[in-house]
Amino acid sequence: MTTVSTNTFASRPSTGRSLEKSTFWIFRIATYVILLAGFAVFGDIVFKGSATVFGAFKTTSSFPYFTNTFLTEAPESLYVFEHKGEKREMGDTEYRAFREKETAAALAAGKPAPVFEAASYVYSAGGIWPCIVGTVLLVVGSMTIALLLGVSSAIFLSEYARDGTFVRFVRLAILNLAGVPSIVFGLFGFGMFVIYFDWNVSLLAGWFTLAFMVLPVVITASEEALKAVPKGFREGSLALGATKWQTIQSNVLPYALPGILTSSILGIARVAGETAPIMFTAAYVVRDKMPWDVEKISDFFFQGVMALPYHIYVVSSKIPQNEYTSRVQYGTAFVFLGIVALIAASSIILRNKLRGRYKW
Amino acid sequence: MKRFFDSELETFRSDLLRMGEVSIRQVRDSLKAVVEGDIGLADQVIAADDEIDELEKRIDNEAIRYMSLRSPIATELRLVIVGMKASHDLERVGDEATSIAKRAIRLAGEPPLKPYVDIPRMVAIAIEMLRDALECFVHADNEKAIAVVKRDKEVDAINKQLYRELSSYMVEDPATTTRALELMFISKSIERIADHATNIAEEMVFLYEAQDIRHEESLKKTGKVD
Amino acid sequence: MDTPSATPASRTFNVPATATSAEGAQTLIEIDNFDFYYGAKQALFDINIRIADKRVTAFIGPSGCGKSTLLRCLNRMNDLIDGTSVKRGSVKIRSIDINGRDVDSIELRKRVGMVFQKSNPFPKSIYENIIYGLRIQGVKSKSRLDEVVEKSLRGAALWDEVKDRLHESGLGLSGGQQQRLCIARTIAVEPEVILMDEPCSALDPIATAKVEELIHELKKQYTIIIVTHSMQQAARCSDQTAFFYMGKLIEFGETRDIFMNPKNPQTEAYVSGRFG
Repeated sequence: MTTVSTNTFASRPSTGRSLEKSTFWIFRIATYVILLAGFAVFGDIVFKGSATVFGAFKTTSSFPYFTNTFLTEAPESLYVFEHKGEKREMGDTEYRAFREKETAAALAAGKPAPVFEAASYVYSAGGIWPCIVGTVLLVVGSMTIALLLGVSSAIFLSEYARDGTFVRFVRLAILNLAGVPSIVFGLFGFGMFVIYFDWNVSLLAGWFTLAFMVLPVVITASEEALKAVPKGFREGSLALGATKWQTIQSNVLPYALPGILTSSILGIARVAGETAPIMFTAAYVVRDKMPWDVEKISDFFFQGVMALPYHIYVVSSKIPQNEYTSRVQYGTAFVFLGIVALIAASSIILRNKLRGRYKW
Repeated sequence: MKRFFDSELETFRSDLLRMGEVSIRQVRDSLKAVVEGDIGLADQVIAADDEIDELEKRIDNEAIRYMSLRSPIATELRLVIVGMKASHDLERVGDEATSIAKRAIRLAGEPPLKPYVDIPRMVAIAIEMLRDALECFVHADNEKAIAVVKRDKEVDAINKQLYRELSSYMVEDPATTTRALELMFISKSIERIADHATNIAEEMVFLYEAQDIRHEESLKKTGKVD
Repeated sequence: MDTPSATPASRTFNVPATATSAEGAQTLIEIDNFDFYYGAKQALFDINIRIADKRVTAFIGPSGCGKSTLLRCLNRMNDLIDGTSVKRGSVKIRSIDINGRDVDSIELRKRVGMVFQKSNPFPKSIYENIIYGLRIQGVKSKSRLDEVVEKSLRGAALWDEVKDRLHESGLGLSGGQQQRLCIARTIAVEPEVILMDEPCSALDPIATAKVEELIHELKKQYTIIIVTHSMQQAARCSDQTAFFYMGKLIEFGETRDIFMNPKNPQTEAYVSGRFG
């Protein structure tokens, strides 16, 4: 066929071409494997966890006529026992009331008090409300501290400091901080805030520990965001006779804010899931009082709280494992994922909103 | 959109027009000096030539300045170039008027050779051509410009006729030679003035139509061009 | 208009009414033996210029010749760059050495405004852009701010185009309008000198013509120094032109002399587009 030979661009077989094909498939399969793993993890948590969470909906007699005990109650021990031939599962409070009622009823009827032989499973009943509250408090507090410190430091580094050995050293130190394992932060927080400052295991100690952990992210993100603000805004402002701080405050920071917030909040969401830094500094295994039940305001900062990741850790480390504990684990993990997703979503919404306002 | 230096072009245009006006006045006055033997008027014409020379220099300076600082293109570029050329033509017209005035002084002492009929007619046509050429400049009137180019022949014809007539005077009476020669030169000057008017008209066609109609044989013959 | 016969030999070409004559213009900025360094690298060598008040002075020269550097020395914008230093000489505005100990660069920049190469309106409303300089000076009076906004926008020939959308974002304007907005913003703080760093390099010819027109209007009230890559622009809008090459001032003089009869062969080569 003479016509084929005239086509200069016709395909010719070569090693390069066959290699191309196989590498393409390797990359493709690697991506699919990751995707699959992700689906497996999320699917597992969502499937099992949602059963716990949505199974806990109960109707009530007053508005809004339903409640979710898993989200609104404190953790309790679960008692499993046999009563009149049927298997009963009850939380701590319910079980005590039930026992007293039955005993009283038996005594009134002149019968001997019934013997209850219940197996108890710690934290497998009730809900995780205090953990949710604690986590939210930890996140909000540490975020505030991290943003205040981090943004100030980023402004200093990228706007004021003259580029030199010192600044390079500081940047290196900050980058190294990001590589420190979370348990080391936990120990640092314990030694520094809990012992040395004598704050005990408290919100404040947890806030600062988490804040220090997230600082590298906040500083790096803020510096990037500040650098992304066009030089022209600064020059234009300075050329009009503004001071450096006036320039930054009114003409740089507002435009860097969306970037700073997004990255920082995502960073916070990440450390909010860390167990190690808070287990020595802020988290209680169990606490009866809610954080706002304090005598004076200052006590608020010096109390420990329950937290979702630590709760998962505590429940999971109970041996032996059984169907009751795993229910709580998955439920908590599911709620926790939901909260992280909520934080991430809110940061994105915030960013889009701010971007809309400060666009260039 | 108006630009801040558009006023410079306006100045340039009005200088050119002013130069045209002065040239026409000079031609008219020089003829009057010849016809009426008015030496005073002739002196005035000679003195007034400086004004034209100054205007020419000024227009050239403006043009060079405009070209180097404003980088004109298209019509503007043609305007500046045509302005320079037209100012040169007008300057030559002024020179011819001066030369006529000088001859007027020399003729003034002697009796007229013959009644002045043809020369005033030639001047009238030449002035009209000049005026028309300038009007083309003002009104961008292409038709009129071509009409000016065609009228040149009328002046040429009178000039030739006058030449023959004056030659015969000289042959008949050698005493008239000086006067006849002066008149011949005057006639030649007027013919040159008409030529310059033609040049200006041609330049105006170039200015407004970007067409070079110089040395077009079709225009030289009588009849329609197009 | 004066007649050529009356002009001295140095002024071969007569000046139309649109150009200010050098005579009678007072010197506003004196730059003497000025050496400027970026770190160890010398950027400007022994610059000596007298810049006249209420005239337009153009700095021309190939890229990296130091013209922008010198411009930014005039309001000390170079202070913002690490390692810059004035090693010798002085820049005096109204006989005050602006690099002197007792000169505050913030105060200096209120008097010596600057318009940049890339138009940089702040992502705020047109109104807020204009009053930015006054806001930071602490002016609060609404009526005064309104007045300044109108005056500045009129001054920048932008009022008619934007008066109905003062509270819309300045970024919604076209490139040329943005640049005029930046000029309006600069004149709102009533400087004496306006520095323009290639103000038209990002604009189309019509927008450029409008800015040039504006420059021509502004020189009635302000002393303008413009850095430009466009020879035509320098020729069109400036009264004086300085040609720089490799950090040195090669030739400085009346624009018409620089463009019609440059003394230095390098200047001639540059203005006729043979190098640079």
